[in-house]
This record gives sequence, structure tokens and C-alpha cells, in this order.
Amino acid sequence: MRRDVKRRTFVAGAVGIAATGGSGLLSGCGSGAADTGAAPESLTQPVAELGPLKSGINYPPGYIGPKARRQQTIVTEPATFTVVVPQSLTVGDWAKNEFTRWMEQQTGIRIQWRQVAGKGNDPETMTKINAMMAAGDIPDAFLGITFTRSQLYLYGAQNLFVDLNPYLERYAPNLQLAMKDYPETPKLLKAPDKGVYSFPDINDCYHCRASNGRALLNTEWLRKVGLAMPQTTDEFREVLQAFKQADLAGGGKTIPFGGYKDAALDTFFMNSFLYNAGDPWLAVNDGKVEANYVKDEWREGLKYLHGLYADGLLARDIFTANEDQIKRYGDNPGGPVLGGARVYYWGTLMTLDLVDPKARWHQYETMDPLKGPNGVQVAPWDYLKVGLEVSTLVVTRKCKRPDLLVRWADYQLDLEVVLRSYAGPDFRWSVKGDKGINGKQSIYGMESWNTDETKGKTWDQYGVMYRSGDFRLAERVDPKKPTFESPLYEQTRDHLFPHRQPMERQFPPVTLEADQAALDAEIGLNLKSEVTGSLAKFVTGRLDPNDDGQWADYKSRIGQIGLQPYLEIQQAAYETYQG
Amino acid sequence: MSVAIDTASAPAPVQETRSDRIVMICNYTALGLFTLAVLYPLVYVLSASLSDPKNVVSGKVWLWPVGFSIESFKAVFDYDSIVTGFSNSVLYAVGGALLATVLTLFAAYPLSRKGLPGKGIIMALFVFTMMFSGGLIPSYLVVDRLGLLNSRWAIVLPAALAVWNMIITRTFFQSTIPEELVEAAKVDGCTDFGFFWRVVLPLSKPIIAVNLLFYAVAQWNSWFTALIYLTNEHLFPLQLVLRQIILQSQFDPSQVRDTAELIRMKELQEQLKYSLIVIATIPPLLVYPFVQKHFVKGAMVGSLKG
Repeated sequence: MRRDVKRRTFVAGAVGIAATGGSGLLSGCGSGAADTGAAPESLTQPVAELGPLKSGINYPPGYIGPKARRQQTIVTEPATFTVVVPQSLTVGDWAKNEFTRWMEQQTGIRIQWRQVAGKGNDPETMTKINAMMAAGDIPDAFLGITFTRSQLYLYGAQNLFVDLNPYLERYAPNLQLAMKDYPETPKLLKAPDKGVYSFPDINDCYHCRASNGRALLNTEWLRKVGLAMPQTTDEFREVLQAFKQADLAGGGKTIPFGGYKDAALDTFFMNSFLYNAGDPWLAVNDGKVEANYVKDEWREGLKYLHGLYADGLLARDIFTANEDQIKRYGDNPGGPVLGGARVYYWGTLMTLDLVDPKARWHQYETMDPLKGPNGVQVAPWDYLKVGLEVSTLVVTRKCKRPDLLVRWADYQLDLEVVLRSYAGPDFRWSVKGDKGINGKQSIYGMESWNTDETKGKTWDQYGVMYRSGDFRLAERVDPKKPTFESPLYEQTRDHLFPHRQPMERQFPPVTLEADQAALDAEIGLNLKSEVTGSLAKFVTGRLDPNDDGQWADYKSRIGQIGLQPYLEIQQAAYETYQG
Repeated sequence: MSVAIDTASAPAPVQETRSDRIVMICNYTALGLFTLAVLYPLVYVLSASLSDPKNVVSGKVWLWPVGFSIESFKAVFDYDSIVTGFSNSVLYAVGGALLATVLTLFAAYPLSRKGLPGKGIIMALFVFTMMFSGGLIPSYLVVDRLGLLNSRWAIVLPAALAVWNMIITRTFFQSTIPEELVEAAKVDGCTDFGFFWRVVLPLSKPIIAVNLLFYAVAQWNSWFTALIYLTNEHLFPLQLVLRQIILQSQFDPSQVRDTAELIRMKELQEQLKYSLIVIATIPPLLVYPFVQKHFVKGAMVGSLKG
């Protein structure tokens, strides 16, 4: 008898959307619709246990990350859920996708996919999602749709999204392990009302944590002008002057230091004067949230950049060039024209030739952050915003059995499933002695990832995954075809990681109440355009940072936009985050 | 109240004056430059689509193909969603244009006749929708409640009548089909339907052509309705797939966790972008010459007076 009821609820979950559609937010948001919500048995199922470890896999010593276990199927009776996903050319048709089929076989859980055009994080996708939410046309879950923390909280507090707290405790053993590896996770997951409105994804990308502070310098040129890698702001200026004088590109084509508009200059240069992680330029000082761009240190940084620009040491188009333009400089036929550049990695600077060991990109090396006149030397390290992503799987109140979806998501955190999910079935376990990106024992290798061969076989990183730092760095490097991954890791480790700021200084990703979020968005946008606009003007000489009057005007403009109320919102949100 | 000018029997050309010639030269130069400005992007896109993508990225292509290759066209047909997108777009454009044109004619003709009771009110209602609309969510609710969500009808029906086109068509009828013609037909015993079928339609080829073209092009170019109403990849039109390719190659550069993927998506975009634009432009280009001769006539006559 009971079993019949269950089956019926599954069917309702799968196809009942059209039937109940339209009765959602408009009528039901205040009262909380009574006809939906998790079935009572969803919290009384036996607690999920970890399976035994699979053998024959070579983990490096001290490895922290996902492991391969023998996992059980989740259901024996077929269970179907409706899940909204973004469209992807790599995934192809989600229903016919190979990983979809594999997951269905392994777990017994069937998914009815509804594809939304877009990438899952673009404004138009969100328009569509908001229309669905407002019309009550809600699936059992969203996968790979990037709700912001504030949106999750908004919908969660309205009871549209399920608070996963009790489910994660009982049915997500893999996630519990991962949260031990990444102890900040629970704090980052919780909304101000302590609710957890999504199943997260962990993707600890080592070099991403430092990418805002990365700048590259041409070591070949350094050798030619007989100078060492600069360590201070003054030495850096000397190097650029030497590049300029030597005109190593010939014909006056030399650009001592370049950049483009999508890589902020301040996240590299300002860190010689104060810790600055870039937009929104907030930092925590003894529990107090402060804005960098009104500080005297910021002004000193502007003076320095102003000087460099006035001497012709920065590219004229450093604020306006787009990616194609900087690449054209980088790829300049006949020889390099750039002495250095503020870019995220070599690939933004030029077309990468991975075969030739003498390829041009090898000339460019990551700089240490420069030590400023007061001894400040920081590489902004992103402890909190890289690594954990919320909103990977969002379960809605339409879902009768959140426990099954949570187990389904947790199943995907297993090492082997992670590899299948984003790299496809053609990965291979490494043998003893294979080296990974970080030079330690490698765990796996994948030849066909990111080629046409994996089309229709993977979920293109939209799945729920646990990719720890060690996991990512344990990818085998083919000694015959080394990629840029190893140098990127090594240079980050040697030049940036040692100069990182303490974690307490980073302004964390906070969650705002709906009305605060609106205010924050409005003021934040105006502040951003003022700060970036004025930065460009101060540097290029349309404003003079040495002029007290112009600096005072700038500060008063910032004040008028509403810095004070803005900081109060952030301070309150920060304190909520700290609990 | 237009004054007809008989241009066909104009007197023989008189001797051109100096100033006439200057005007002529200026005219041709300006029009020539204008033509170049319009033509250049078309030629560039075609050349880029036929070149090796590497040469396009490095800026070597500026007029003619460099390193001729049809690889990008082959790659296009490797993606199922592009092929289905193309056929969907054709279906939406042809089906939508036919349906919308029929509805437009049905609405416009009665409104062009003097005798229709309540004509003012009906017209006012139509025009009202030009100024005000319910907005996205209410429209979504309506489509949802009608059961059209996630079906081809959601693309075709909400766009099935454009008031603007209807007004042009009505004006066309008013100015080309005089009341006297209706009266004459009635005297001969013709019904209203018979008159519409036997007299109005044969006389309205230009405006029918204009309507078909307007509606077809609008459908061909539209992607937002599909994005809002469809959640099944097999129903997506080509424009949505095009957009997808461009979106997928855009990353937040500071957060590129998988640089290899970024590089690949960029290459894919460079490879597919131009060939897809060419493919998406061909159908309208093919249709246009056949409609063009009616086009000017229909649109001009229809918009003479409001």
C-alpha cells in the first residue's frame, strides 16, 4: 500500500508541474502552499554510509580529496525527478548524454531534463528562471543554474527552496568528508537564517586563488638589459625604463608593460601600498570592513602608476585594449614587443605553442608582488570565493523526496564519478611513478578531455563535483607534451603564495536581505564606475593624484554616491557571516 | 490625397547643367561609399568563414580568404543542435509567416471598409496593445495556462499578429480597393467573402509579399521568445544556438579554472562564428530578391496615410 503511494508521488513529481503550474508565487508565496513539500518519509530513511575504498589507485602521500569507493545504487524502484539545466553544446542532448545514462544505471534515479538556453549564469537565463519561479512552473531541482547567495536566501526564506541541512547530515557522507577537508565550507554555505539552500560544488583551483595578483615579465629581455627580476616598485620602474631605452622590439615598437581592460591593474600594483583584492575593493581590518579606494595608500599607488604612465612605461591602451588586441601584441610576428603585462596567464597574452620547448610564452614569468616604499608586498590570495560554489544543485519544494536527490548529488562526489562527470569515460588511472602537475604521484590522466571525442559524453562541469587542490594537481602530465599547468602551479607557489595576506583580512562572500541587496547593487554599481573611471583618469593624467584638490573632489564624489550606507550594509552582512 | 505624377511619359532629357553634373557626381560618390560600407562586412564575414581560423584571429584576413578552408562548415554540421536549430528556424519562419499573414489580412480588410460597425473601438483596442503590454511574467502565465509552454506554438502564436503590419495592410486596402469596387461587385451579386477571395486577394500581392517577408524575417531573427518559453533543446531555433556558442566561449578571465577548456571554447567560437553567420544569413538573402519587387510598392502604398 505504502509503496503505491510512493510511486504516485514520484509520478506527480515528474509530470505534475503542468498541473500545479501557475499557482506558485502569486497565490502561494505568502501563505506557503500546502499541497507541496517533502514527503515525511524523506527524513526517516536509513542514514547513508560510505562504501569501501576501491583498490589499485595510486594516491600521492598526504593526499586530501575525493577517493574512489564502491557505491550502492540509491533506489531499486525507479524514481524520476525533473531537473532544469543549462543548454550546452558539449553536453549535447542531456537525455541522450552518456554520463546521464551511466548515472541512471548506477543510481537508479531517472532525470527528466528541461534545458534552458544560456550558460546558467547570464542575465537572460535568470530572466527565464525568474519567469518560471513567478509562474509556479517549478521543477524538482535546478542543476548548474547560478543563483546568487542573496537569491538563494530570498527563495529559501519563502520556502520555495528546500533547506538541505537535515538531508546533508543524513544522506551526504561524501560531502561530510569534503567539509572536513575544507572547514570553511559550512560557514560559506549557510544563509543568514542558518538555512542551506543548495548542494555545493568544490573546485579548488590553486592558481585561480592568486590570479588577480598575477603579472608576467619577459625574462629574456631582463637578461638582455642585464637586470634581475624586480622586487620593489623602484626596481620595477628601472626595469621598464631599461626596456624602453633598449627598444628590444625595434623601431620604437617596444611596449614596456601592457594589459587589457578585463584584467584590473590595481589588483597587482596597489598591493605594494595596501592589501587590495580588487572589485569591490573591500578589506577587513580588525573586524571592520573598509573601502580601499578612499585611503591615502590608494592615492600613493595612483601616484606611482601616474608616474609610470607619464614616462611612457605603460601601454597607451592599457585601459581600453580588449583581449584580441593584447593577443595581437603578444603574438607579434618577428619577436615579442611586450616587456611584461598584467594578465591572468600566458593564454590571454598569446597563442600557446605547447609543443615547442622554446615557444615564446616560456620567456614570460610570474612576478613577485612589488615591495612598496613602506614595505607592503602582498599577493592577494582568494581563500573564500574560489573553491566552493553554492547553487550547484538547488532542490525546490516541488520535490517530494529531497533525500534521494541529495544522495544522487553526493554520489557524484566520488573520485571516479567526478572524472566521468567532467572528463568522460576515457580517463585512465595512473601507474606508480607517473608525475602529476605538482610533481607528485599522479592519480589519473585524460587524453581526450576537451576534444571532440568527449562531446555528448560528459556534463561539461555542470555536475556536482568535489575537486580538491590535490585532486586537480594529481592530473598526469605527459612528459612528451607538457602543458602550461605545471609552470602555472609552480610559479604561483613560488612567487605569489608566500606573499598572501592573512585570511581574516579577506572580505567574504556575504548574503544580503532582499532590500539590502537592491541598495547594495545600486550603490555598488555607481561606486564601481566611479572608482574604475577615476582610476583610469588618475593614471592617464586626465586627473592628477598629486593635486590635493582633485583627490578631495574624488573622495567627495565617492561620499555622495553613498559610501557610508554601503559600508554599513557590508559591515552588517559581514557580522552575520561571522555568526 | 496624393497627386499622381506621370513619370513614364516625361519629356526627353534636357542638356545637363554643370551644377547638375556636380550633384550627380556627389550622389554617386556618396552612394558608392555607402554601398561599400554595407558590402564590406558581408564580404569579410564570408571570407572569414572560408579561412583558416588562425588567420582570422591574428588579423591576417581583411578582404579575401587567407588559407582557404571549409573546415568550419564541416564542423557546423557536426553539432546536432545546429542542424535541428536550422530546421526549426525554417519551420518557425515559414509557418509563422503564413499564419501571421493570413490573420493580418483577415483583420485588416474588414477594418479598411467603411461599413464595419464598431470599427473605431476595434481599432482602438488594437492600437492599445501597441502602447501597453502586460509584461513578461503575465505573458508567461498566459502562455503557460494555455498549455503552450514548451511547444512550437509558443513561438508561433504570440507573434501571430503585429499591429503595425496590420495598420499598413489596412491602409493599403483603403487606398487601392475603393468602396465603389465593393458596390459594383455587390450589384453583380458577389458576397463579402467572394469579393475578398476573388478581388481583394489578387489585387493585394504586394502587401501579402511585404507581410510574409516582415513576419518571416522577424521570426528568423528572434531568440528571446524561444529562450523564455522553451525548455526542450530540440525545439530551439538557430539564433538561440548561435547565441549559445558565443556565450560558452565567454569566461570570467580571473576565474578560469580550466584554462584548457577556455582555449578550446575560444577556438570553437572562432571556427564556428563566421560560418554560422553565413548559414544564418543565406535563407533571408535567398528569399529577398523574389519579394523585393513587391516590397517597395507594398510598403509605400500602405504607409501613405494613417
